[in-house]
Amino acid sequence: MTTSAPPGPHIEVRGLRRSYGTGTTAFEAVRGIDLVVEPGTVVALLGTNGAGKTSALEVVEGLAPPTDGEVRVLGLDPVADRAEVRRRTGVLLQTSGFPADLTVGETLRMWSATMTAPRPVEDALAELDLTDRVDVRVRSLSGGELRRLDLACTLLGEPEAVLLDEPTTGLDPESRRRVWDLVAGLRDRGCSVLLTTHHLEEAETLADRVAIMHAGRIVREGTPAQLGADHPSTIRFEGAAPAGLPDLARLPAARRVATDHGRTTIESHDLQATLTALLADAADGGVRLAGLEARSATLESVFLAVASGAHNDDRALEGADR
Amino acid sequence: MTTLSPARTLGLARANATLVVRNKLTLTYAVVIPLAPLLLLLVGDTGDGSNGAGAAAIVTALMMAALFPVFYNLLSQLVTRRDELVLKRLRTGESTDAEIITSLALPGFVIALATALVAVPVAMLLGQPAPLNPLLYAVTVVVTLLLFAAFALWTAAWTKNAEAAQITSMPVILLAVLGQVAIGFPDEVRRFTDLTPGAAMTDLVRVSWFGFGTDDVERTLDLAGTWSAAGQPLLVLVAWAAVAVYLARRSMRWEPRS
Repeated sequence: MTTSAPPGPHIEVRGLRRSYGTGTTAFEAVRGIDLVVEPGTVVALLGTNGAGKTSALEVVEGLAPPTDGEVRVLGLDPVADRAEVRRRTGVLLQTSGFPADLTVGETLRMWSATMTAPRPVEDALAELDLTDRVDVRVRSLSGGELRRLDLACTLLGEPEAVLLDEPTTGLDPESRRRVWDLVAGLRDRGCSVLLTTHHLEEAETLADRVAIMHAGRIVREGTPAQLGADHPSTIRFEGAAPAGLPDLARLPAARRVATDHGRTTIESHDLQATLTALLADAADGGVRLAGLEARSATLESVFLAVASGAHNDDRALEGADR
Repeated sequence: MTTLSPARTLGLARANATLVVRNKLTLTYAVVIPLAPLLLLLVGDTGDGSNGAGAAAIVTALMMAALFPVFYNLLSQLVTRRDELVLKRLRTGESTDAEIITSLALPGFVIALATALVAVPVAMLLGQPAPLNPLLYAVTVVVTLLLFAAFALWTAAWTKNAEAAQITSMPVILLAVLGQVAIGFPDEVRRFTDLTPGAAMTDLVRVSWFGFGTDDVERTLDLAGTWSAAGQPLLVLVAWAAVAVYLARRSMRWEPRS
């Protein structure tokens, strides 16, 4: 069959760079990133605003040529092989763009008319719970409804590779769940999905792999569990280290001990070992640790560390550890 | 140039036509303004066209058809759709750039062509002669409309938003009208104004429909004569079209100006 993708990744990005402007006003938004999305997997590109997620995604979408590097979608060049790539991919832009004076039904029919092999418009309306809104003008839709209409267009051609730029931004929790189910369904059908988000829960729930982007580079990449594992867990309690305890820095697997704002924080790369020893010490010394809490690293702590630039310190620490 | 898919282009054009019809102001500009000048045929001479009033009415109708349903309509649709991010969204789909632009121009183009066509029976009913060289008349209409569509693409590139189009459309409108109002200007001035698209179009209509020679208001040309008299103004029109297409291709913008 000519339409089946060659074996290998659906989306492949190598050394991608993208610059805006020239001369002294030039700005490099994407500074050499690599990404691979295998069939039947979801990859989330996570990052703060301005990290370069959309700039990178627009190149994968074929809307802009790369300044340097290579992009392959379904084994093809999204700019040179535009017609073939577009037929087999579904794109959702960060901001939805539809004429305000068309109705939902007219918009989907217009989109359907541009496609080689669209599904029935009614099916798409039903899937995104828009059947009741078919005669409503786009200008009267809520943010969530507009996003669902946009997604209906994205998925109208049963794409093999799907590129979603912040698919759930502005959606209420119920709509967000619906979109998550939809994305999970795409993965189960063997589609590849590359999405950007700054919802950590979204990345944790949906993504098989997460790439965290900061200042144009991918600074962390892996499964959500791997990313967490790389990162220290934390133990906190109120007040400075009590007198009855031995030196906290000598606890097994403890990496860093700090006291500020009236709280003591111990970072650990083996939460159970550190915590067991701490509690044993506390029991021996008859010490009560007020407000004690212990947390494994979440994507959130990884992300916040990256966003605040702390990943450089972490890298240095990891290097020292080894 | 890429080939257009008729299904995709017409599918998009249908949506664009719906949008033109839905906006009362757009619809008025697109339909009433080009047809209104034909009413001048009622008050002009109803003889054999021998004081040029009939020609003036037809030229005005065609110019309005080029300026409003084609130029101004395409300009405002392009800018509005660009600002709504519709153009960017469409470019993520299967439609080619040429299909997207063609579909935007098509509703106005059809209205303008219909105006040019309807002008023939209306003028004849009101006592004007039939076009002497219908083929040349048709060529004039099509080249003029293409030229003004290209002007719209170029103007859109430096128009900030749909409101600003009321101002940014002025250079092209003036350029179009200059040729017509220049008929009363001294010869030294007219040597230059004859090089405007409006003047070239005016000459071509007078030649192709009425067989008027330069400045005549009587039929002095035969069918063969119309072709040779059409040479220079046709060249002027085609040259403008080439420049406009070149500018449009260079300056096309698909996303809002930041």
